[in-house]
Order: sequence, then structure tokens, then C-alpha cells
Amino acid sequence: MNPHELERLLLLEQSGELAPAQRRALDAELAASADACRLRDQLRAWTAAIPPPAAGPAPDAAARIVERLRPPRSAAWIFRPVWKPALAAAAAMALFLGVRAFRPAPVAAPIETAAVATAAAVEEWTDPLDAEFTELENLLLAISTDDSLNVTEL
Amino acid sequence: MECDDAQLLAAYRDGDAEALGRLVEKYKRPLFAFLSRFAANPGEADEWFQETWVRAIENMNFFRQRHLIGWLFRIAHNLAVDAVRRRKPDCSLDAPQPASGEPLAERIPAAMLAPDAEVAGRDLGQHIAAAAARLPAEQREVFWLRMDAGLPFKDIARIQRCSVNTALGRMQYALAKLRAELAPAYRELQGNAP
Repeated sequence: MNPHELERLLLLEQSGELAPAQRRALDAELAASADACRLRDQLRAWTAAIPPPAAGPAPDAAARIVERLRPPRSAAWIFRPVWKPALAAAAAMALFLGVRAFRPAPVAAPIETAAVATAAAVEEWTDPLDAEFTELENLLLAISTDDSLNVTEL
Repeated sequence: MECDDAQLLAAYRDGDAEALGRLVEKYKRPLFAFLSRFAANPGEADEWFQETWVRAIENMNFFRQRHLIGWLFRIAHNLAVDAVRRRKPDCSLDAPQPASGEPLAERIPAAMLAPDAEVAGRDLGQHIAAAAARLPAEQREVFWLRMDAGLPFKDIARIQRCSVNTALGRMQYALAKLRAELAPAYRELQGNAP
């Protein structure tokens, strides 16, 4: 194990963040290397040697903090950033529905297309009928005007 | 029985000011220690200490109250970073001075120890604290969050908004610099040890 990796594991050991596999690797290294033990001792010595700051906060610090925050706000403040996104989502949904409600009916174009198609079909359908009806009408007219043809006799 | 942070916050929310006082007391030592490493004097550290709590409570939410110490140090980090930026020197320690021609850093006593501390010296902790004050801000912050406040690297990474590996790397850079700077004092201390 290189010294950089060893120091990393020792730091994680000190902070209590070693994974089980790292723990095993570090234990093996410490058992095999005197240098590894020296490095661990040095880190421990440094941590133990650091003096706490001489001064602490003012004795009335807590009272002054409470005074600056007075009065405590209502229970709603603690959840404030939670309801904000919900409100934003509701507003977005209302806007979306509003836009949808005012959109022109999407069936207009198909109706126009269908009308054109039907007109073409009617034109195509009625043309031969018109001719036959006209022929039939002329025949009936001829029959009705021709005295030589007596229907009752026929 | 020690009350949970969330319980104390709830009690404060319900009007119990004493509950906030207990919370302040609970985190007083690590938080003030961290702030005092960056403040110019104890008065400024005290001012930041109060400001940290006021901002923390005013901007508290359901998720943050579950990890109060991380949230407190996040605010303390912001205060420290702002202060370090404001105090940014307008001259480089490494640039040669017009009068003498030597870098300003050469004129600063070794590890910035006060004369009386130098005389009383031989105190590894004081040497470390003084040398750490010369580390770059990010490395200094990781060093003190770990050594002073005792935070795990996972929380330090969250406070600095970086990965755990980056936080570990910063700590290792800090240790390498301190080791180089403190080598003579450390050897001397080991030599004097019984």
C-alpha cells in the first residue's frame, strides 16, 4: 500500500468512516509495516495535541440569540420550503389547464376535410343518376303526350 | 435524558426559549472553535456565532432540522468564506518588497507564533495551530472541521459541497504542508520525549 493510500485509510479510521474491506486492508498493513504504525501514531498525536481555543462565546450568547429571534414564529415556518414547491406545482397545473380550456377545438380541420370528401363523393355518385332520371323523365313525358300509346290498352 | 435536536427545535417553536438555549449550549464548543479559527479576534468569532444561530433558525426547514450540526457548520462556512474574501490581501506574501527586496513571508516569524508562545514553545499543538493558519482557506477549513469540530469527512464534503474524496484530498494536502513546516519542531519534540 502506498503512503498516500495508507494516510487516507488512517484518516477514515479516525473519523469512523472505514468500510469493512478498508478496515481489513488497514489492519493488514499495520500488522506488516512499522512505518504505517508510526504514521498512525503521528496523526493521533497531532489530533490530541491541538489545543481548544482559549476563549468561548460570551456567557449571554444564547440569551442574545433568543432575543434576536423573538418571537418564535408559528409552526408554519419550519415547513416553509416544503410547501413552496407544492404551491408552484399547483400554479403550474392551473395554468396548464387554463391554456387547455381556451385552445380552439382540434376537430375543426377534420370536419372540413370530411365535408370536401363527402361533396366529391356526392358529385361522383349523383352524376349517373341525374342522367338516368333525366332519361326516365323524358320517357314518361313522351308517353304522357303520345296519344297513340294507350296505357290501358297495353 | 438527552433531547433530540428536532425535539428541542419543536419545543422552541412552541414558545420554549430555553430549548434553544440548550441547543446553543450543546453545539457551543465545536462551532465556536471552528469560527474562532477564521475570525480576526474572539469578539468577531462571538458575533459570527450568534449570526450563525440566527440564520440557522430563520432558514430552518424540516430536512435541515434533522441534521442540525451540518446545517450550522454550513452557515459558519459561508460566514468564514465571506470574511476570508473580504480580508483578501492586496499584496502577495511571495512578492519581493520594494524596500528590502525580500518576500514579505520571510519577515513573518516561523509559524506565526507570538514571542511569548515561541519562548514557552515546545508545544506541538500551538505549532500546529499557528502553521494551520497559513493554509489555503479550503484546506484550513477541512483541517479544523475534522480536528477541532470532529466532523466526519462525509459531513465536511456536504458543507464544502464537494465529494468525500475531494475533502480527503484537501486534508491530505493540509497535512503534507503542515508536516513539511513542522518537521523541525516535531523532530525536536520527539527528541526531547522521555
